[in-house]
Amino acid sequence: MKIAVMSCIHGNYEALNAVLSDMDDQQADKIYCLGDLVGYGPYPNAVVEMIRTLDIPSCQGCWDEDIVEGLNSCECSYPSVLAEKRGKVAHEWTNRTIHPEVREYLAQLPLSLRDRNLCFVHGSPHSQHEYLMPEVDAFIALERVLSTGADILFCGHTHVPYVRSLEAGQLNVRVTSPEKSAQAVNFSAPIQRIVNVGSVGEPRHGRPNATYVIYDTDADRIKLREVEYDYQKTCAAIIEAGLPPIFAWRLARGLEFAERADDPTHVCER
Amino acid sequence: MTQWAILSGIEGNLAAYEAVLLDLKRQRQPVDELYVLGDVITPGFQSAKVIQRLRSPRSGELTPQVCQGWWEEQLLILHGLGRTGEPTELIERYGMSMVKTLWDEIPRSTVEWVRSLEFGFFELDCLLIHGSSVSVSDELTPDTPPIQMLDRLMRMDANYLFCGRSGFTFQYEIHQGMVTSSLVTLDQATSPQSTLVQPRQVIGVGNVGRTPGQATYTLYHPYTNQVEFKTVRYGSGKGFQAAKR
Repeated sequence: MKIAVMSCIHGNYEALNAVLSDMDDQQADKIYCLGDLVGYGPYPNAVVEMIRTLDIPSCQGCWDEDIVEGLNSCECSYPSVLAEKRGKVAHEWTNRTIHPEVREYLAQLPLSLRDRNLCFVHGSPHSQHEYLMPEVDAFIALERVLSTGADILFCGHTHVPYVRSLEAGQLNVRVTSPEKSAQAVNFSAPIQRIVNVGSVGEPRHGRPNATYVIYDTDADRIKLREVEYDYQKTCAAIIEAGLPPIFAWRLARGLEFAERADDPTHVCER
Repeated sequence: MTQWAILSGIEGNLAAYEAVLLDLKRQRQPVDELYVLGDVITPGFQSAKVIQRLRSPRSGELTPQVCQGWWEEQLLILHGLGRTGEPTELIERYGMSMVKTLWDEIPRSTVEWVRSLEFGFFELDCLLIHGSSVSVSDELTPDTPPIQMLDRLMRMDANYLFCGRSGFTFQYEIHQGMVTSSLVTLDQATSPQSTLVQPRQVIGVGNVGRTPGQATYTLYHPYTNQVEFKTVRYGSGKGFQAAKR
């Protein structure tokens, strides 16, 4: 079976259409979405309608949560004052634009999905806001997968796709307490993987193409897909909608601009 | 040589706290720092008196460094000062009636002091905290999986994590470990790399007030990393003798 997994569509209808066509070409049997259907982009209603019409199971992303709950994260949501200013403009625009039924749909999305030994989340199993960057310590990465009980953890949120394999994990521990004599505990983990599926609508891997992932369960093979589409159309729509022009600029370059977090592992406590 | 006393869970039990303070005075080597890792209060006991005692140490006593515990967080939530709006966890654990009990029995005058408490302390390479680096509710025990313990240490880059949520006294030493990691991106694939773990520990510091007649706490020597668990018997007919374990 071929499972297609995508994330971070961010109201980019053109990109979503292109990715769905590519999934069709790749003969995907099943599709999962890891959230952030809205935010930044000009077509939040159309994107949600498409996901709902196609009955694609989706997790709730941090943008979806913020639109439902209001902006109540701590300052960590925005890594710089500039990013905060632009993010708030996009939040207010999206909040004004989305239909009530879209808000209701986003509100009921689950934080995670399971399919046999696969787990799907937006950021990490612990928070929609946590960035699982490729360079995060290997033991922390391993803990994130093991905490789900799955073998493969699919996530998004960083907008940069990767596959990280964690093998031969082992720890040697000794536990002592006044009541018991010292006890040795040896821990070992089978191979685990983190698959970051990138972003459909707001890629940050250095090119404007949409990204997603296909997992072939029979061959146990993971393929990172990069899909070209007419991003200029979305850029024009961003400007036309009155969203900050910087969103069009960075979409055209596949770059994150002035929004790199100092501590991407920080988890918002609110 | 520096020595710290680390305790948790006085839970409004003033007699138990007094017994521990007396035991500290009896230590051959003086105690330089006194850390209280939360759960100072609990409904239905002498919580206000314990707070008063903590805030006003007697002449010659150490000023305790107190951080928030689970009960303190519940109190702040009730007063609209917590990290969440609803006391969901309190109700799930103790039922709806506990909301009123906690509200009624902890004087409002103490709330500001509770609010001023730190979430935890980071001294040298030690994290001192009620639950863990995740939350005050996170309960680390001798049975917590090693990978979870390591995660709690690494979140704050601590070599030693002292916690009190479980109430147990235990020393959980992660000696060594390794994991091999490889990465594939759209543009490149890296060859497998090994990550090693440096030795780290989680220490359960015990509980002062929960068990009548018996308080447990921990002494720590930060320059030798020696951990010593103490049990203090108190109450009528039991004296104030410390049993070294």
